[in-house]
Parts: sequence; structure tokens; C-alpha cells
Amino acid sequence: MSFLAPLFFAGLAALSVPLIIHLINRERREVVHFPSLMFLQRIPYRSVRRQKLRHILLLTLRCLALAIVALAFTRPFVRRQASARAGGAGARELVVLIDRSYSIGAADRWTRAQSAARRAVSGLGPTDRATIVAFDNQATAVTPPTQDAATLNAAIGALRPGSEATRYAPPLKLASQILAGSNLPRREVVLISDFQRLGWSVRDEISFPSGTTITNVDVAGGDTSVADAAVADVTVQRNEGVRDRATIAARLTNTGAAPLANVDATLELNGRVAETKRVVIPARGATQVRFAPIAIPSGTSAGLVRFAVTPPVGRANQLAADDRYYFTIAPDAGVSVLVVEPSASRSNQSLYLTRALAIGDRPSFRVDVRKVGGLAPADLEGRSLVIFDEVAPPAGDGGAPLRDFVSGGGGVLLVAGDQLPASAWGGEWSAALPGAIGSVVDRTGDAGGTLAWIDYDHPVFDVFNAPRSGDFATARFLRYRRLTVNTDSGPRRAAGVADTASGAHVLARFDDGTPALVEHRVGRGKVLVWASTLDAYWNDLALQPVFLPFVHQLAKYAGRYSGARASFTAGEVLDLSRHGELVASGQRTGPVVVEAPSGAKTRLSSSNEGLVPLHEQGFYEIRPDGAGRGMGQRLAVNLDPAEANLARIDPEELRASVLAGAGNGFAGAVSVDAPTREDTERRQTIWWYLLALAGVLFATETLMSNRLSRRTG
Amino acid sequence: MTSLQPTAPTRLIDPAVLARIGDLELAARVVVEGVINGLHRSPHLGSSMDFAEHRAYMPGDDIRRIDWKLFARSDRHFVKEFEADTNTNFTVLVDCSPSMQYGGSVEGAGTLSKLDYARYLAACLTYLASTQRDRVGLVTFDSEIRDYVPPSAKHLNVVLHTLDRLVASADSAAPNGTRAGPPALAALTQRIGESFRRRSMVLLISDFYEEPRAVVDALAYLRGKGNDLMVFHVLDRRELEFPFTDSANFVDLETGERMPVIPDYLRAQYRALVAEHVASLSRVLGENHVDYAMFDTSQPLDHALFRFLSGREGMRQSRFRSARV
Repeated sequence: MSFLAPLFFAGLAALSVPLIIHLINRERREVVHFPSLMFLQRIPYRSVRRQKLRHILLLTLRCLALAIVALAFTRPFVRRQASARAGGAGARELVVLIDRSYSIGAADRWTRAQSAARRAVSGLGPTDRATIVAFDNQATAVTPPTQDAATLNAAIGALRPGSEATRYAPPLKLASQILAGSNLPRREVVLISDFQRLGWSVRDEISFPSGTTITNVDVAGGDTSVADAAVADVTVQRNEGVRDRATIAARLTNTGAAPLANVDATLELNGRVAETKRVVIPARGATQVRFAPIAIPSGTSAGLVRFAVTPPVGRANQLAADDRYYFTIAPDAGVSVLVVEPSASRSNQSLYLTRALAIGDRPSFRVDVRKVGGLAPADLEGRSLVIFDEVAPPAGDGGAPLRDFVSGGGGVLLVAGDQLPASAWGGEWSAALPGAIGSVVDRTGDAGGTLAWIDYDHPVFDVFNAPRSGDFATARFLRYRRLTVNTDSGPRRAAGVADTASGAHVLARFDDGTPALVEHRVGRGKVLVWASTLDAYWNDLALQPVFLPFVHQLAKYAGRYSGARASFTAGEVLDLSRHGELVASGQRTGPVVVEAPSGAKTRLSSSNEGLVPLHEQGFYEIRPDGAGRGMGQRLAVNLDPAEANLARIDPEELRASVLAGAGNGFAGAVSVDAPTREDTERRQTIWWYLLALAGVLFATETLMSNRLSRRTG
Repeated sequence: MTSLQPTAPTRLIDPAVLARIGDLELAARVVVEGVINGLHRSPHLGSSMDFAEHRAYMPGDDIRRIDWKLFARSDRHFVKEFEADTNTNFTVLVDCSPSMQYGGSVEGAGTLSKLDYARYLAACLTYLASTQRDRVGLVTFDSEIRDYVPPSAKHLNVVLHTLDRLVASADSAAPNGTRAGPPALAALTQRIGESFRRRSMVLLISDFYEEPRAVVDALAYLRGKGNDLMVFHVLDRRELEFPFTDSANFVDLETGERMPVIPDYLRAQYRALVAEHVASLSRVLGENHVDYAMFDTSQPLDHALFRFLSGREGMRQSRFRSARV
């Protein structure tokens, strides 16, 4: 038996009241006015019976009732042992899931979480085993299943709150796996968290082995406040036509019930304060802070938007880490495109293509047009994409720079069209092509063909995937070249299987099944073949609204433009192969070092590929191995804004969800207890029964005293 | 002289009935003329002009009182003196201290408080005295004199009105806002005695929460000045029998003092003390030739008066005869 408010035991002093009533004041219940006490005062007033306890049962009832009331106010509860909770007998396999998302850093939640984990471990029997699993966006078993309490406690002590969001599915699945692999008869999971609603999705299917007991430990306790202010987002709006100026805007949110006044939002660029603005964040709302346009320094600059509330608002802003938002900004580099035309090109052959690429600033396309006869290796310098518009590439040694360009990550778009001979891409280029370019298919007889199948999952077409996002079906293709893919991976691609052997992917097909657009990876680069023309000569696609975004998407994809992301979210994994812009141009290959904000370094053997998990909030730096600090590219990592939403899920609801998942063949016997003192007491509500008992005793006492009064009267 | 006629019990008037008669004079007349008539010699029969003795004429005597027939026989001037040739002063002293409120106003309706009972007693005897052409006066007091009506043959109405107002003044606190407290009889009787110019018949009505010896001492001054003293001791039945059952805090109406009391344990001793007090008062006052009567407010007023006056008449005659002998 434990007590939540033991100070109320002082209320037992009230037991003296009935004693006093019985010993002293029992005769003083009524007042009788009497002419004179002259005679009464003459009577010796010493009665032995007055000093005796009368009606012992009555006194006992009163004392007992008062003692029970005092006991109820101490809010007693029974702390049952973990073994008792788990039920059954035998050794126990315990998995302690401890939440280390950044919301757990609010107030003293992390301390409570560690204490709860230590309590769970302390209940281990000599034959029990336990595993500590830390989780945020992902789950990691920080210890193997062990009986060594010291190891477990050391692991718990070494844990720190992270910067990532909460997801309950990974740790529960990991726990399920650990328990499924255990041969111990009893299985138990202790989930220690602040139970953020956004961390759980009803689509997560969790199933536990039969007999598993889940114990939820809510470290938020009775704190249901969800008040927090955060920098949810920062947008960089580049000024029209000016590459090196941008307007920074930040969105500040407030989930609290009270507005936050006197919020000083500050924009820093490369560590220097650019501007500070005072704003008000409305209750349960957001406000946008728009800073004055700034000049963007050359190279990648580190930006920061932070805010502070004056005076500090305490619980109205529970999480401090999300008061800062990191981002990087650089002058717009654009996509450099070289269009190579045949020496005797049609009139305005590349007009539609160049005009389409000239429009748009995110990114901007810098387009140069060259005749194939005047093509020089220097023209490939700094290029992202070379479009051979119905022209063959240089053959022999002259083609070597282009092959290096492609293997180094450059993109080549080959427009088959009318003028390209079928044998033009033979020889050393045959391996680079996804297939053979065949004869012309004339569809003028049936009013032209259409694009009947498009891989909308491909980056080129994914922007058209949503309804009313562009209709390729209206375009008519009167002629096109028949492409024969070496290993036609179309159906397999359509079935979601890539032809990794050849690396050829059909991205679109005409209505007769002929490939319209085919991709083939060569080294880090890409070669794409378009079977028709990119003007209005063989088709009217150039006249359709989808032409411009299609060309833009095609150029961005082939040119490996991923856009310099202003920031990443903690928990993401950086794929260097998809973010070549993050590697200095002179260090396209070779080992690199990724340094986290905390100083932790990760060495990668090649800058071309490698996965870097981004766990920390702040600026990471990617630099060539051996280079000094500050010599590389920086990337910003921020907290998941969803984590700032402190809305809680009821542990009961989570239990119900897990039960639903457990119903899929595993019938997990799940029970939920609340090991924290407050939750245990709240669930048991022993005080209520005590007060009810006290009420019964008081009623009995009243009846009894009335009866005794009548008898003595 | 009119013989005494016993009164039939059925004609006795219940105190509660008297309480319902709002007019104090009417109530007194009901009691006196309806019940007590005949106890005294009627003033209309001229019995008060009975000859008592002759006295030698002294300069200053009214010459109209010279017995001229005796002068004719003896040639000496004698003055005739009659037993009741002059009306006496009849003054009622009513204790209206807080303890006298005990009864109806304190413990509930339906019974007379001691003060009410005292008022009726005073009114009845004042009316009776007035019908005998005595001068009537009134003194009310608690810890000090509150009302003083000097004796006069024309003061019956004043006395009755004063008695009528006595209820209200007794119910309220003292003029200075404090509780009146027990009367200091000795000082009061001295002040009252000093105001009397001639010997008077003095009736003192109180509950006498005093030591009997202190009462006698207090009355000694009046007695020493030749006043004829009567003492009415008015008590409520609950003061006599102490019928309480529940343990309670008893509050002294005079002093406000509180005392926890278990009546069951004290009743017998209390009754004995009260009985001893009444007996002691009766004894010591009788020894000092003060007529004493104890009145229980639950008993009919006229019956009590009858018993007292008949007893007093007999005693007075015996005293008178012994004085003439």
C-alpha cells in the first residue's frame, strides 16, 4: 500500500474531536436559560462518570469514520508487483520500449521515463530477461536480451532524448519480434512514452505472441497541456529574375489555448542577425513572419529562424528545440542544358523545346543550342543535360568526353525523330542505349496514336499523377520511331519490378504498345530516348498544355536536378546518390566525411553513393575526407513539425488498436496498467470506496447517537 | 367587618386565562371583585371610621376632631382618634431583573413568566388597596430603580400603566445596553425607604436569589422605619422541581454565566437546596415580622392571593388585638 498524499495523515488529528466530545463537551450540546445558577453552583460538580468514555461503540464509529476520511485523502493505492501483473509463473521475457523522441524532453518527462525503465528492470527475477529498445521515428534495441541489470541500467542511463518524431509501430514490431523469438513462458512489453497521438496510425498492424502483456507507462502523467510554439516552416522565395536575392518567410505556430504576444522572430544568415520582427501568434493558430528581402551570398549559406517570447511563457511553450528552424540557401544554379541540332535542321526544330525551357525559375534552365558539327568537349563543362535533337552523338574518340559526362552523372536525351539514322547510335554507343531505334511508324491513317500507358510513379511523370494535373491523351502522334528495348522491361516495370540487368525502363508507351520514352542508366548518368519529335512536326504534343511541364520534368530528371533542399527532417536518410548537389563539384568522387551537429563524423568511401541517417537537429557538413571544417557543403536538419503537436492518444485507445492488430491470428492478451503512482492511484480510486465507507459509518453513527440520546433522555 | 368567604375552586382563574386578558385593570378587577371580595372590610360601610381612642388636644390638632360632647361633659378638650381615619400608603416593589423573565417569554407561550405573575399580583393588590382608598405607589427595580410611582390616591392608573409597560422594559436589556444583573436589595430598600414620608404598607415581589439573611438585612431599614412589610416570593415550577433531562449548558439569566449541567445528577440536590432556601426565607422573615408568601406561577393567582390575604388578615387581627391588650 502506497500513498499519493501522505501529508493528509495529519488529518488523523481529527480523531481527537470525538474524544473531546465524549470527554468534555458531550454535556454542552444544548443551552438552557435559567434564572440563576446560585443553587447549581453550590452542588459539588465532580462526576466520575463524566470522565469515563460513554458509548464506546459510538466513539469507535466516529474515530473509524474520521480515520477513513483521512486515509481517503492520502489517496492510497496498491502497487502490484510486475510479476503479479504478468500473471502465470516462470521466467519472463521483458522488452522495455522507451520513447526518446524530442517531445519527451519537455519538462521532466525524460527523467520519469528513465525512472520508469529502471523500475521495470528492477522487477526482473533471476531467470528473467530484458531488452531495452529506444525508439523515436525508428526503434533500436540498445541491449540484447540479458539478465544483467547493470547492463540494462547502464543502457538506460546512456540514452538521451533525440530530435526525431514519435512512431509506435517500429518499436512494437521490434518488441513483437523479440518476444516471438523468446522461449521464456511469460512475455511482457513495457511501453514508456508520452503517448503522442501522431505517433500511432490505426493502419499499423501490430501483433504479439499469445499471452503477451503490455504495460503502458505514461510519463506525461496528468499533464494534458499541449501548448507549444514552434517554427513550423521556412520558405525561401526567390525574387523574380534576381538569382541572388530572396525573401525568407517563416510560419510560427501555437498549439496553446492562449495567444503568445511579444514574440521576437529573428532571421540569422551565416551566424549574423539579419532582422528581428516582433509578432503575435494567435491561440491555436499560426502566423507568418516575412522578413525583408536579403542578398544571398555566394555558395551555400546557413540560415536560421528562431524566436523568443518575452517574458518566457513556461508551460505555454513546452518544447524549446522547435523554436529554431535551420535552413540552407544558395544562389540559384539552375539547370544547364545543351541542345545539339543537326547541321541541316528543320526550321524552328528546337524552338518549342528552347522556349519551354526558357520559362520558369524554379529551377531556371540555361539553354544553349549547338549544331552537331560545332560541338566541342568544352561545351559539356558545367552541363547537366545534353539533348541530341534528331542527331547522332560524336563517334570514336570524339565521343569519349560525352561518355565520361554520362557516366559521371550527366544526362542525355536522345530525340529520335525523323532525321536520326537507325544506325547512328551504334558502335560504342550501343551499350548506352536502352535498345534499338527502328523504323518509322506512320499513324496518319488512323488519325495518329496516343500515349496509352504512362509510368506515373516515375519522377518524370509523378507530377501528372493527380487528377486534373495534365492530360497526355489529347496529344496525337502521327509518326514515331519504333523502339526495341533490349530486354523489354515494360510489363515487369508495370508490375513494379525493375529490369536491373539492363537498367532499361519504359516510361511511356503508345497505344500500339511501342515504347514512347525509355530510360537507361549509364554509370551515374541517364540516357533517355524519346521516340517522336519535340516540335510539332510528328505530333502536336508541343501544342498541348502538358508540354511545358513535361519538358521541365524531363530536363530536371535527366539533368539530375533535385533542387537544393533548404532543409531535411530529422529521421530522414540522406541518399548521396540523389543529392549530388551536396557534394562539392570538384569532389564528385572520393571519400567524404559527414559531420553531424554534435561533431559525430561518418566516413563514406565515395561521394557518389552512401546513406547518411540524419538524427540531429542543426547543420550537417559534407566535405572531402581530410578537408577542414567549413570547407564542405552544409545541409540543414530540423525537427519533424508533427512532433510539436503534443495531442495525446489515450493509452486505452492504443491498447485497443494493438488488440485489434493482435486479433490477426495472434490473440495477444494485452493488459494495460499505469505504473506511475498518479496513474495507478487514479485507476484504482481506492479513495472513493473509503469515502463511501466513511459515509456509511457516519450514517450509522448518526442513527446510533440519536437512539442513544432518546434512550438517555 | 365582613366574614371571610372561602372561594370555590371552580371559580379560580388560571394564570393562562389572566394572561389572555390584555387590560391589566380589568384583570385585577376580575380577581379582586370576583374572587377576593369580602376578605377586607368594605370602605363603603364606614367601618374604617370606627372609634379607636381619645387623645388630649394638642396645639396644632384639627379642631374639627375635638369631641365636643366629651368637652361638654368634662370641660376638657379631647380629640377623637379612629382606627382608620387616614388612608395608608401602599407601595409595591417589583423586581424586574432578568431572572424574573423566566417563564412564558423565555421558555415558550402558554405560561406566565414570573414577571407577569408579579405584575398581576401587584395589580390585584394595588387595585384592592385603591378600592380601600389607600394611596398606591409602585417601585420597579433590577440592579437599580427603574420606575418610581409615588404613593397617591390618584395613582392607580399610573401604577397599572407602569406595570403594563413593565413587560417591555423587562424584556429589553438595561438602558446602557448591558444586562441588568441581580438586584442589590440593601441599597435599593434604603433608597426607597428614604423616599417614604410616612409609614407605608410595602409589598416586595421578587424571586429572591439572595441569601435569606441578606434579604432580612435589606428589609431591616424599611422595617425599622415602621413600614408594614410583605414579601412575595415568586418562583416557576421548573425552578422548584428542576425537571430537565438533557445535559445542557445552563446560562444564568442574571449574569450570563454558563455552566454544563447533567440534570439527572443534580436534580435531587437542587430541589433540596431550593426547599431549604424557601424555608429559610420564610423562617427568618417571619422572625422579623415580615409576611412571606411563596407563589408558584403555575398555581392560580386568585387562589394564592386568597390564601395569603386570609392568613394575613387573621395574623393582622391577632397582632392588633395583642397591641391593644
